[in-house]
Amino acid sequence: MSEGLLDEGTEVKDVEVLREDQDRINRFSSLNTQMDHLEDDEKESSTSKEYLDDLIMEMELMDEDETVKFKIGDAFVDIPQSEAMVRLEKQQEEVDAKLDKTQSRMSEIRDEMEELKKHLYAKFGNSISLER
Amino acid sequence: MSASSEPDTNPRGIPRAPFVDNVAEFVSKSGVKESLDKFQEMLQKYKYMEMTTLQRQAGLKEKIPDIQKSLEMVEFLQLKGSAGEDVVTNYELNDTLYTEAKIEASGIQSVYLWLGANVMLEYDVAEAKQLLSERLEGAKRGYDTAEEDVLFLRENITTVEVNIARVHNWDVNRRKKEREEAERAENK
Repeated sequence: MSEGLLDEGTEVKDVEVLREDQDRINRFSSLNTQMDHLEDDEKESSTSKEYLDDLIMEMELMDEDETVKFKIGDAFVDIPQSEAMVRLEKQQEEVDAKLDKTQSRMSEIRDEMEELKKHLYAKFGNSISLER
Repeated sequence: MSASSEPDTNPRGIPRAPFVDNVAEFVSKSGVKESLDKFQEMLQKYKYMEMTTLQRQAGLKEKIPDIQKSLEMVEFLQLKGSAGEDVVTNYELNDTLYTEAKIEASGIQSVYLWLGANVMLEYDVAEAKQLLSERLEGAKRGYDTAEEDVLFLRENITTVEVNIARVHNWDVNRRKKEREEAERAENK
């Protein structure tokens, strides 16, 4: 991944960097960092979502009155299947909402980065590298 | 330094890096090597701050689920308590050693919170819940603040990196021009 750092090669077009260009480069750099963090969040949420979806499917096969050992904090507590399902479905909703939020933020950021790239490549051409 | 910049800081007092308006003008005042040295030093400082902030953020990211776990359990006990049910639990007696216990949650009044530094304190269940919620909020706020700082530092690192590249490039171009002029003079 390369930052909005101008090429230090010898053959550089003499393009003046204006305040607004610098602001755009900085914004790009900041969005890039945010994107890294969001990608981590997305991965985390997708994994939990997968686990939860699988688990809920399995648990649906159980009898409602059966007792399960459900993890709360660092301990397991005995609760009936029905109660465990309510808890799992709540967790599922939370994870879905979080994942939605992360992904929509990611797509906003992607759009803004594309917009910035257009401006910056138009002005600086090969003197700037904005790829991840 | 005579760069055209607003000498402002972010809310945590991290200074904003100066933007160089005009390289030729800037360098004529401060000198090429001096400017580059100064920017390098600035870059090191920003990078150091970025590293420590990222570490702090990572610490908070670990702390948040820990608080959440305790809060979840307190809420569970409160729920069972008000429903008048007891709780059977397999709990960690030691690392990798679990055993069974029955908690008389019906009418549970208090829990004990580990405060750190070998101190544990008894709290009323509702109070414990409040304390943990506040701590959770605090940790989340801290995390968001760290994220803000990380992004601010990133922007400033970028500014300084661009400054370095611009001064460097300006100097390369200047020497190239000088060389060409010298050659032209020789060929005359």
